[in-house]
Amino acid sequence: MSGRVIVITSGKGGVGKTTASANIGVALAGTGASVVLVDMDIGLRNLDILMGLENRVVYNLVDVIEERCKLRQAFVKDKRLPNLCLLPAAQTRDKNAVNAEQMKKLCGELKGMFDFVVIDCPAGIESGFHNAVAGADEAIIITTPEMSAVRDADRVIGLLEARKDEIKEQRLVVNRLRPSMVKTNDMMSVDDVLEILSVKLLGVVPEDEEIIVSTNRGEPLAGSVNERAGLAYRNIARRLKGEEVPIMDLDALDQTWFKKIAKLFTPARA
Amino acid sequence: MQVLNWFFRKKGDTARTKAKDRMRLMLIHDRLELPPDRLASLEEELVAVVSRYFEIDRDTTRFDLQQYERRAALIANFPLLRSKC
Repeated sequence: MSGRVIVITSGKGGVGKTTASANIGVALAGTGASVVLVDMDIGLRNLDILMGLENRVVYNLVDVIEERCKLRQAFVKDKRLPNLCLLPAAQTRDKNAVNAEQMKKLCGELKGMFDFVVIDCPAGIESGFHNAVAGADEAIIITTPEMSAVRDADRVIGLLEARKDEIKEQRLVVNRLRPSMVKTNDMMSVDDVLEILSVKLLGVVPEDEEIIVSTNRGEPLAGSVNERAGLAYRNIARRLKGEEVPIMDLDALDQTWFKKIAKLFTPARA
Repeated sequence: MQVLNWFFRKKGDTARTKAKDRMRLMLIHDRLELPPDRLASLEEELVAVVSRYFEIDRDTTRFDLQQYERRAALIANFPLLRSKC
């Protein structure tokens, strides 16, 4: 088996990288693929919280690298999906605990065990970033339609372009879009961001308060049927698997009364 | 008041277009690692060179950077009035 190693990165912090990693992992696993989520934010681990697995972490990535445990022992199985697991980051170490060579070797091993290896990259463009992208075949860039996030995304795209031989594909996810603000010309649209960054679009995730609720519950939204952000992530997973899925019409879902009624009647709608 | 603002606001002057324009200019400079005053000094030098050969219409001179995909292009347009030789 040779899986795909996909790194999720953004440059700027706080744009939703970890949330995206958790949801893309859950959504990919929901399609039946085997998935491992790797938290490379060493020292600032959070992916375990989003997955609701913080109490089950025994060993971590650095333990594996430093051979204190076997790779399989460090996997934390997801509560709901049997084909999904987490490789947690160490909380008490720093970004230099794993180097690029070790990461490449680890990704090579994981590729042999899973269909998808999804790596949550730390913020910034320093060593932690370079180590996290070291073993990746593809990258997903997360940005919000804000100037500072787009600027940092551009920097990351430039850095990843320089690794074209290893990272064959880069695609963008525009997160936290507020369709109503785009309509009143108060916020950049997805097309504006795409035009500026000149990169392929993988998906659009609307701003959704349910994301906060799901984080508190430790149950990524992509697992629930009706939330629109969850649907957006499931669409992203389908596109990653090569399906042609149109970007959903956010305007239609923007009115809250519509959303409420839609919730009552629709199963998963595209 | 907001309604009035919205009503009278010029089309090209929304927060959205402003952000987009600032973004575009900023990223061209970022990608080339170009300090902000560099372009102005290049323009000055180019004008000086061309001016040795031609009289230039400075009012309609165009000199700026444009984005093509992820590359930038320097667009210079010096309308010539007459030859100096």
